[in-house]
Order: sequence, then C-alpha cells, then structure tokens
Amino acid sequence: MDWLEAHSENYFGQGGYDLNVLMRLRERYPISLHGVGLALGSAEGYSGEHLDQVAQLVRRVEPCLVSEHLCWGAVAGQVLNDLLPLPMTNAALDLMCSRVSQMQEVLQRRVLVENVSSYVRFTGDDHDEAGFLNELAARSGCGILLDVNNFYVNQCNHGVDAVAQIDAIACEHVCEIHLAGHLVTDVAVIDHHGARVAEAVWLLYERALQRFGRVPTLIEWDTDVPELDILIDESARARRRHKAAGEHRVVAA
Amino acid sequence: MSLPLERLQAKFAEALTDPLRAQEITADIAGRDARTLDRLALYRGNVHAAWEKALANAYPVVRALVGEDFLGGLARAYGRAHPSTSGDLNRFGAHFADFVRDFEHTRALSYLGDVAALEWAVHRACYAADSFGLTRDRIAVLPPADLLAARFELHPACACLESPFPVASIWLAHQPNATLALPDDLARREFALVVRPGWRVEVLASSAGEIAALKHLQAGADMECAIGAALEVEPQFNFARALVRWLDHAILVDLHNGVLGTVCGSA
Repeated sequence: MDWLEAHSENYFGQGGYDLNVLMRLRERYPISLHGVGLALGSAEGYSGEHLDQVAQLVRRVEPCLVSEHLCWGAVAGQVLNDLLPLPMTNAALDLMCSRVSQMQEVLQRRVLVENVSSYVRFTGDDHDEAGFLNELAARSGCGILLDVNNFYVNQCNHGVDAVAQIDAIACEHVCEIHLAGHLVTDVAVIDHHGARVAEAVWLLYERALQRFGRVPTLIEWDTDVPELDILIDESARARRRHKAAGEHRVVAA
Repeated sequence: MSLPLERLQAKFAEALTDPLRAQEITADIAGRDARTLDRLALYRGNVHAAWEKALANAYPVVRALVGEDFLGGLARAYGRAHPSTSGDLNRFGAHFADFVRDFEHTRALSYLGDVAALEWAVHRACYAADSFGLTRDRIAVLPPADLLAARFELHPACACLESPFPVASIWLAHQPNATLALPDDLARREFALVVRPGWRVEVLASSAGEIAALKHLQAGADMECAIGAALEVEPQFNFARALVRWLDHAILVDLHNGVLGTVCGSA
C-alpha cells in the first residue's frame, strides 16, 4: 500500500477507537480524505456545519488529498444521504463552482471533485460530464478525481461513450483515479463497490493512464469485502498497469 | 426550459420519498423509458438501505431483538417520521428510542425504547473525545477532607441510565461471548453505566446509589454531595468500593479542588 483513503464522515467524532486507528495510520501512510456527505450541489439544505466538521478533521489528519463528489443530496429539511446526479446545466455549474470555491476557502487548500455514476439523467443539459468537470476545475481551481468505473457505468446506463469522455477531460486537472467493481442488473448497471474491476474498466483505466500519466489510483471495495489476498491481487493488477503506463508514456502532463 | 435547480431537486426528493409521486419527475428525465420508474426506485432503495445500515450499526441489540427484516421496516418508518438532517449517518438514529416507544408496532415491546436509549449512549460513547482516567495515586494523596470537597470531571463517554426494565442485562446477554443469559424477569428495574476505559465501550450493571452519585458529579457537585445523594437512595451504598470501580473504569478523569462553603444542590 502506498497511501490510504478514508471516508471523512466516519471520523467526525471527537475521539474513540476508529479515529485513533486513523491517527496511527497517518503516521505511516499519506491519508486521502474522501467525503460522501457534503452534497455540494444541493440548491437547498446545504450544511455549512458539515463543512466545518470536514475542516476540523482536515486540521487533525493533515491529509495528502481531500475530495468530494459532483452530486447533490439534500433538500430543505431533509438529507437523502446518497450521491444524487446533478443536471449538467449552467445553473448547476455556477452553484458547484461557488460551493467548491467556498470549500477550498474554508479548508485553505485545493480539493478534488469526483464524477459519480447515475441511473438517470435530466433533460436540458448544457454540458456533457467531461465538459462540466473541465469547466468546474478551470473556474474553481479544483482538481478532478476521475472515477473510471463511473464513466463505464454511465456508458452502460445512458449510452455516453466513456472513451470519448475520458479523452475530453483536460489532462492538467486529474489528480486521482478511482476504480471499482459494478453490478449488472436488468434495470441499470450499479456502481456497488462489491466485485472485482471489470475487464472493460481495466481497458479504460489503461487509456486514462496513457492520457493522464501515473495518477495515484485507488480501488474502492467497501461492499462484501473479500479475503485480503483477493484485494492484494486486485491492487497488483492496477499496479502493473500503473507501472507500465509510466514506462511507455511519452508526453508529460 | 428546464426547471430551476431547487425545484428539480425538490421534485426528485419527493419521488424518492413517495413512490406514488415518482411519475411527476419523469418528464424531466432524459431518455425516459419503461425502466425509468425502476431506476428511480433504485435511488429510493439506496436511501432505505442507508437508513437501515445506520440503525443496524447503532442498534445491534435492537436488531437482534426484533430481527433483521423487522428492523428494515422500522428503519423506513423511522426515516419517514424523522428525516435525516445530516450528511453524517452516525447521527441518524438520535430519535430512535422515542420512536420505538411510540410506534404502533413496537409500543407493546415496552422495554425496547430503553434498550435503544442504552445503545444510543453506547454509540455516542464510541465517538466521544478521548480522555484518561485519574490514577489511584492521584486520589491516594488527597486528605479525606479534600477528597470530599473535590469536584470531578467525568469521562466524556460516560453515561448514566435508569430503566424499569433490565436493560443492562439484556445488552450484556447480546454481546459476543456473553456468559449471561437473557433475564427471565423483564419487569426488573436496572441501572446501567456506559464507560470507555480504553478504546472499547463497556456497559456495567449499576445501582441507584452509584447512578445518583455520578449524576451529581456530572452536574458539578462535590464528592460529599454526591455521596450524600447516593446514600439517600441506597442506604447501603459503599463509597470506597464505588471509588475503586470508578478509577478502574476511567470514569473520573480530572479533579478540581473544592471551595469551602459550597452549597450541596440537587443534580
């Protein structure tokens, strides 16, 4: 393991065993704090208190990376606790830009924003996902956490060409890559983080590495976590590709 | 023209909360087809799964008592009655004890609310600030008069509970490697103490006197007042034994010298 990533919200407590383990691990590994609860794109119900808690944790852990999602998750008086898809409109882009800027201001650092998988898309989009992310990164100064599996899942669910999306992402913004397993159902493909990375996603990962260089990569497996040897084997598969990309890459980002 | 973002999100949230209103959002969904409502149902399922997972995590004994399927139903009813108000799901179950006391399908299980209250205290204790217990040496050097006049700070994880039901015994019987069986008599009053001497939270069966004393200390009373309160409700309260137990379980974490002439108020 080169570095570790933790869900920020699991460490919002003032103390206790879990936080102690994280604080011990941070002495040996760089830690990335990956938030799942800020719901940056919520027009109403957004919580500055939640951001303050992230800030408190960031001060404690001094992570190498801080990330959140390109999503929404709350309305007035109710939090839905899910990474819900935003319409790719100019209004949503304006809101995301201001929220990400505010987050960076409060945390006093650059953050990464990750593309999510979705089961539905909305009418009236002004951008595709790659265009939205590029614009968000250019305007707010944030980085992009590229989830390769989510692009693949969205290709399956919405017919959007994942290769074209990856090729359209501006190289200079991509600071981290996520990989994960998904579940194919009759209704939709679900990004469930509970299986090995699919062959098609490995191919997309190779393409992403060629384009973005040897970006730090994390495999998300937090549902039905398997035996350790399977996780190690999965990470070795990513590492092989990561290493090969470094050797063959010609253009520096 | 697409809907304003807040209107779109409000409609989407309504579709997740109420399946009967899901149809209303479909006009705003691109490429809608026969699967669109099923896809919205996936999101609804995610929300329910998050609620259930959060409750199962905070309330493992309630889950064992009512069963996994029933907890799933309870989670949906609870989530509707007490919508989540935080992106931190560890806070989701804060009203669950009161909810199961009132809910028509759990009201008859009169002990369940108090078991839930104990589990919430345990859950909070898991995330409470770290603190280290006073050593025996620190207490041993105090002249008796100073000990009686001292005020004590309790560990942030410490919680005192009282129930007309044997909640500590029920909780202890459901722990891994439990040596105690479920109590036969469910009409027995019990006192429970939640402590976190190391990293692990423990529940201790307690007594009326011990709980009264600790509640007084927690409220800022000095030790003499605390002992007085204990003896009032439990004439045979053994202070020396209690003090050793409090030190052993890191319940007392700091002490402040007493001020002469303090009035002993009620906690």
